[in-house]
Amino acid sequence: MTTVDRHRLSMHHSEVQVSVELQTPDMTLNLGPQHPSTHGVLRLIARVDGEVIKEVEPVIGYMHRGYEKLAEVRTYAQITTLVNRIDWVSGFANEIPFMVATERLMGLEVPERAQYIRLILTEMARISSHLVFLSSFPLELGASTPLMHALRERERVLDLLEGVTGGRFHPNFNRVGGVKPAAGAGKSEKKVAQDLPKGFLDQTRQAMQHVRDVCDDLKDLVVGNEIFMERTKGIGIIPVDKALAFGVSGPNLRASGVAFDIRKTDDYLPYSNFEFDVATGQNGDCFDRYSVRLEEVYQSSRIIDQAVDSIPSGELQAKVPRIFKVPAGEIYVRAENPKGEMGYYIVSEGGRGPYRLKIRSASFSNLSVLPWLLKGQLIPDIIAILGSLDFVLGDVDR
Amino acid sequence: MTRKPIPGAGLVKGLRLTLKTLFTKPLTIHYPLEKEVLVPRARGVIALDADACTVCMLCARDCPDWCIYIEGHKEMQPPATEGGRPRSRATLDRFDIDYALCMYCGICVEVCPFDALFWSPEHEYSEMNITSLLHDKERLGVWLETVPDPPALES
Repeated sequence: MTTVDRHRLSMHHSEVQVSVELQTPDMTLNLGPQHPSTHGVLRLIARVDGEVIKEVEPVIGYMHRGYEKLAEVRTYAQITTLVNRIDWVSGFANEIPFMVATERLMGLEVPERAQYIRLILTEMARISSHLVFLSSFPLELGASTPLMHALRERERVLDLLEGVTGGRFHPNFNRVGGVKPAAGAGKSEKKVAQDLPKGFLDQTRQAMQHVRDVCDDLKDLVVGNEIFMERTKGIGIIPVDKALAFGVSGPNLRASGVAFDIRKTDDYLPYSNFEFDVATGQNGDCFDRYSVRLEEVYQSSRIIDQAVDSIPSGELQAKVPRIFKVPAGEIYVRAENPKGEMGYYIVSEGGRGPYRLKIRSASFSNLSVLPWLLKGQLIPDIIAILGSLDFVLGDVDR
Repeated sequence: MTRKPIPGAGLVKGLRLTLKTLFTKPLTIHYPLEKEVLVPRARGVIALDADACTVCMLCARDCPDWCIYIEGHKEMQPPATEGGRPRSRATLDRFDIDYALCMYCGICVEVCPFDALFWSPEHEYSEMNITSLLHDKERLGVWLETVPDPPALES
């Protein structure tokens, strides 16, 4: 046996050099609609040449529930229950822009305590949404440990949310003019005002400490991990101009280096009373999208700590009749949701429900960058890029 | 963060967390054997106090997915005072909530002006047959015992 033969044998079959360039036809690869990494039911039709993706077409609509149309035949109070379910990972945050839009149309002044409660619970929703991302993204890349640790602390946050609102995912706690008032005639002792339950503020402080602890753990476990870095650094880079052109918002935009945060620019909740930094990345790759969200959890817990210390006492609701009509007009209010910019465009004709409701959801716009972003990437990177965009299909399809 | 990590550093960090977790008490509850204590405001099932209901239909009308079915009739009551006029009183015949449709928003509990509806954290009423999820007046009345006292409030 010659040396060359021995060398040939030690090589894997596929590594044997072939002198002729093989012509392979493109293959169509279907991903989904049922795939754990697609956060719902998203189908990707990818045309691949070997390992390289030539073209990707996302097929959406499997989760379409027609909320914009349903809202036209419902009253404002009933729509709160629908908007909860748009992005179910952060149900509470979805209610805020809709409520603020309705209140601005009616010219209502929301009591300060109600605004603070809204703010605290919104940031809790952001933390719980980000913790899902921070734990499920490594899971999609093959690391299952972070999931257990992050979801444990998320449960603490959800328990607090449940203690106040009664629901973990669909709180339905906001009312036009404030937060949920006392129910019923006030005759029964079992129905009293829906203010914060006793011990909530102390438990929140503890929970925030736990959240920060688990984020420190995640920093060690995930961000500092070589395998994670290899899988995410330099993968799926969204440059600033492309991000802006596709309407990418939220943490995905900030990861590209744009310090744009609606909490800083708009005044839908009293965020100006608190100190917090806008986390930004530099490269806009999957790694930055992860680190930005990790930093945002720290910032959210910082906001909650300040809000818990300075929450004023007082009324929970402005004076609103039980059956109310909203004056004719139209308005667009946007808010910084965990996934990005969420806005509601309400057209009112003076009825008990809106004439038309347009929902601008963050995930839909963030998803629109996919066909451009996935072109030329490798098949294993599809999952990394999909996961890093952190969309929820309920938010995409409405 | 940008510098190249030392090979194996991630493994050591991971094992350190494993060791830490090894000596902490688990938070999990073995559900069917141990029951979780739910918060008083938990929205598990709606309880009905049929005596308080006046068949005003507010809950059925405000329900976002119209899953409450109410029927009633007027009954003549004897006059309260001697020689007075007989009064008609609405009596509840049917009060069904279809839990297969209900989305647990709590609007019915909120709008009830006579305190006839309450939330109870009870949640173990799953059924093999979807039609059994339609709870009638009697079944909804059973839940009334499980309605907890409201929590104390933060000043």
